Amino acid sequence: MNAIGGSNPEYVNARVRARRAALFDEDDYRKLIRMSPDEITRYMEETEYEAEINALGARHSGVDLIEYALHRNLAKHFHDLLHWSEGRLHVLIARYLRKYDAWNLKTVIRGIYTGFPYEQIQTDLILAGDLDESLFERMAQAESIEEAIAILEGTVYHDPLSTAYPDFEASDILVPLENAIDRQFYGRLLGDRSPEGSFVREGPMAMYTEFLQAEIDFLNIKNALRLAMDASDVDPAEYFIEGGRLFSPDEIRGLVADTDQLLMALRTSTYGDALGPLLDDLETADSLIEFERALEGLLLAYTERLANVYPVSVTSILSYILAKEREINNIRAIARGKEAGLAVSEIEQELVII
Amino acid sequence: MIEQLVPIVPGFTEVVLQAVEQNPEYGEELKFGLAALGVGLAALGAGYAERGIGAAAVGAIAEDRDMFGAGLLLTVLPETLVIFAIVVIFLI
Repeated sequence: MNAIGGSNPEYVNARVRARRAALFDEDDYRKLIRMSPDEITRYMEETEYEAEINALGARHSGVDLIEYALHRNLAKHFHDLLHWSEGRLHVLIARYLRKYDAWNLKTVIRGIYTGFPYEQIQTDLILAGDLDESLFERMAQAESIEEAIAILEGTVYHDPLSTAYPDFEASDILVPLENAIDRQFYGRLLGDRSPEGSFVREGPMAMYTEFLQAEIDFLNIKNALRLAMDASDVDPAEYFIEGGRLFSPDEIRGLVADTDQLLMALRTSTYGDALGPLLDDLETADSLIEFERALEGLLLAYTERLANVYPVSVTSILSYILAKEREINNIRAIARGKEAGLAVSEIEQELVII
Repeated sequence: MIEQLVPIVPGFTEVVLQAVEQNPEYGEELKFGLAALGVGLAALGAGYAERGIGAAAVGAIAEDRDMFGAGLLLTVLPETLVIFAIVVIFLI
């Protein structure tokens, strides 16, 4: 019937746009940043998060309450998206939301690695994907990471994780495992974006592909930078995620060594035009954290632009997913920062506001 | 659906013109029949346009009840297509 056959992008988009307008803006953040965690809770009670805060208020308190409420709210909104959408649109959204499976798996593995009990990592799980909470619980109760991977038997993540396990054992850093998860997720996402396996050049599906490529590109940049900062002798090309269009594995190896060159490459790339001013921010960023925050801001701005090109397609929904996720991360950063007694300027560094 | 309808229009016109040529006496009756068909097609187009707008409007109203007025107005806007098509009936 329309661009994404048999689906209802008009309906979902209208609702998504209304919810997008309800996201916190710069003013809200400015207020939040000057509040104590309890005040933040009270402020959230008067907004979007009212239902979650009220439901969880009896069981949790302080920053834990905020975090639980944020994650539950996120999961609620994303379940809504799945609930509203039909046909091809539903398939595309569901496929993208499996990102939270990848996120949860990483969280659980990190929890086992650092020896945290399940109760403590539970706050960090976002149950918006396909995998069940009980699976994560069983994984977290495993004695070792190897056992936890064995529990994943039957899911798509089992094989790549088992393959990456020896690397992890040898180096004792989590990067190989986390990268295996990312690779599996993005590989599947791009692998079956069109049934014929051909590239679509026009229309919303091309935008969808472009969106994912942008995400992969930025993820690659981030990974490479992290590896470079660790000063480990791991080859950045080894953790390269296929599917982006900005770099080839060989290129990224050279660019990681030289940040100026990386910026030049970004400036002359397809992202350059849309992102000129933000790239200047990147240039002045002196720490890796600032650099990563600026990159995240870049991705948000870029996807927002994509969403406006085809207003009634899956891209604007995906860009809402990203924006919502960013809001959750921002509020959490404020709450955690306040709890730890960080100064306002330090917390501001952690925020990504578009 | 509309996309699939469009290609058959030239063929349809051809058939009608041939029929009129062969039987000139049908011309008078035929023009009313075709005008009626035109109104029907216009209504179909309006319905197709309203499908998308209506879906979006219901979505907006579900999020914010104040959108009811604007949503209703925008949903029935394509209805003007049918009114213009009815004008044709009076012109022939």
